[in-house]
Amino acid sequence: MSGLSDRILGLGLLVLAVAYGWVAQQWPEPFGGSEGVGPETFPTILSVVLVIGSLYLMVKPDPEAQWPWGKTTIELLVAVVVLVIYTFLMEPLGFVISTTLAVGTLSWRMGAPPRKAFITGLLSAVVVFVLFNYGLSLSLPAGLLEIN
Amino acid sequence: METLGYLMDGFAVALTPYNLMFALAGAFLGTLIGCLPGLGPANGVAILIPLAFTLGLPPETAMILLTSVYAGAMYGGRISSILLNIPGDEPAMMTCLDGYPMAQKGRAADALAISAVASFAGGLIGTIGLILLAPILARFALTFGPAEYFALFILAFATLGGITGKNPMKTVIAATIGIMISTVGIDISTGTQRYTFGVLELYEGIDFILAIVGLFAISELLFFLESRIKSGHKKVNVGKVTLTLKELVSTVPTQLRGGVLGFIAGVLPGAGASLGSFISYTLEKQVIGKKGSFGEGDIRGVVAPEAGNNGAASGALVPMLTLGVPGSGTTAVLLAMLISLNITPGPLMFTQNADIVWGVIAALLIGNVLLLLLNIPMIGVFVRLLSIPPAYLLPIVTMVAFVGIYSISHSTFDLYFMVAFGVAGYFMRKLEIPLVPIILGLLLGPEMEKNLGHALILSDGDWSTLWASPLALGLWLVAGLGLVLPVIVGPILRRRMRSAIEEGPVSD
Repeated sequence: MSGLSDRILGLGLLVLAVAYGWVAQQWPEPFGGSEGVGPETFPTILSVVLVIGSLYLMVKPDPEAQWPWGKTTIELLVAVVVLVIYTFLMEPLGFVISTTLAVGTLSWRMGAPPRKAFITGLLSAVVVFVLFNYGLSLSLPAGLLEIN
Repeated sequence: METLGYLMDGFAVALTPYNLMFALAGAFLGTLIGCLPGLGPANGVAILIPLAFTLGLPPETAMILLTSVYAGAMYGGRISSILLNIPGDEPAMMTCLDGYPMAQKGRAADALAISAVASFAGGLIGTIGLILLAPILARFALTFGPAEYFALFILAFATLGGITGKNPMKTVIAATIGIMISTVGIDISTGTQRYTFGVLELYEGIDFILAIVGLFAISELLFFLESRIKSGHKKVNVGKVTLTLKELVSTVPTQLRGGVLGFIAGVLPGAGASLGSFISYTLEKQVIGKKGSFGEGDIRGVVAPEAGNNGAASGALVPMLTLGVPGSGTTAVLLAMLISLNITPGPLMFTQNADIVWGVIAALLIGNVLLLLLNIPMIGVFVRLLSIPPAYLLPIVTMVAFVGIYSISHSTFDLYFMVAFGVAGYFMRKLEIPLVPIILGLLLGPEMEKNLGHALILSDGDWSTLWASPLALGLWLVAGLGLVLPVIVGPILRRRMRSAIEEGPVSD
């Protein structure tokens, strides 16, 4: 079926819009009685607009988007996983080590030779760390490299 | 005359050594951001916001820095257009048409020099236009009530897709998603918790800066991974400038026409810098007619679009500064900076924060001079930086984005959120859901709700107040046109832009 992605997106947005609108109706009436506009008025309008928009997407979708199946999908997933692990390890390992690993891996996956990639990672990590911690006195986590 | 006084005060702000230093740094960074493909101006300015924030810069300095980056990006876009036939940013697309053929004929240095002069002329004309028009528009905007503002916000969203936009329904969806995200957090007027699900980090709402950086920077990284463009390896020989004074003088009318047209396109909602450079180029082609050699390296074909897009860049600041309603992605990001500095954008800014507004305008004038000085002798530096492969550059840019967001709150929670926004941004760009309306929704959502509330309280809950005044009604009508016109005119304009590009014998 053509335009399947748009239809799926439309369905997802429809669920979101209904849930968003429904939650808005559950809030207790604010103290002092309701005036013209309560906390739920604006969200209700938004939910109606999004319902209309999502229905339109499902009825009249654009031509199918080009999805990168195969190897590129894995590359993209790897990149996202690297970013999440980078975030996870930043505080325990410290900025310099985690950045060297993250920038190195990303730039290697983007086609740089591995040795050059990790050297770039290390250099950029050290430069930014020194610049921030000593130049701008904003502390980035030192982690394992902390000297007590 | 009053304006002149304010402008002098503005110069007093912008010419302090501290601010001048940041203007210079911004101009340099901006040119760099503009010339590197894959690092657009909106993206570049967004990454710098958290840094400007954590550096603790005073508001006027922060704004001067970012405006210089913005102006610089418009200069930088031309460099890769001319040398590599790859536009550094979208408005520089038209510069490829005659810039690249000129470079192939061995006149790369001339093309770069004349386009720097044209950028300067365009920027200067645009800034003069801004100085003349902005105070008038700001005074007019003071008569706006809450209902008019509400209609104006609708207008901003409706025209954001631009006249060349593809599917207006997707613009509407994007804007709605953005506004929805902005409703998360504690409601300002009643104190009700909305969509927080008891998560402490959500009480204050979702910080739009991390949303912007995530949507732009992270999704850009993923897009690059997908396309695997390995540009930038080519070593380009620039050569010496052989431009004669006579040639330079002969392009003056082109510069003036391009700058003025660009400025008008920039001010109008829904047009923007890309259309500005397109209109200037096509008009120039018509005016010169058969006497020119457009598409084969005509010098005026480089001058017109460059004057056009720089004029438009200054023009786009008019609605952003006077109404608080930006018309492009980059001006939306500049608005984000203003809001996070706790400055309410809009007409009152001209009276309450006159030093900032006029400081920024003066900085724009100074910035253009700095950029001209920077871009002619130092062009070699930028050309050399252009040959850094994106495989090294983009991971580093991503890392800087992480550092910026981390340094705001020192919490990794925000970083996870940013990555999530990046992944969402990737999918939306794939499905052609525009990102700029989402950002504008995030920024304007709270203001929209506030104005809706005020309008309804003033009218005792009568909804017809929203279109009761002629002005509000007019705004609604233009907003309606903004959604309908692209469906009718869009395909024609898009076809013309495409055929204009294909006509030129640019292929190797």
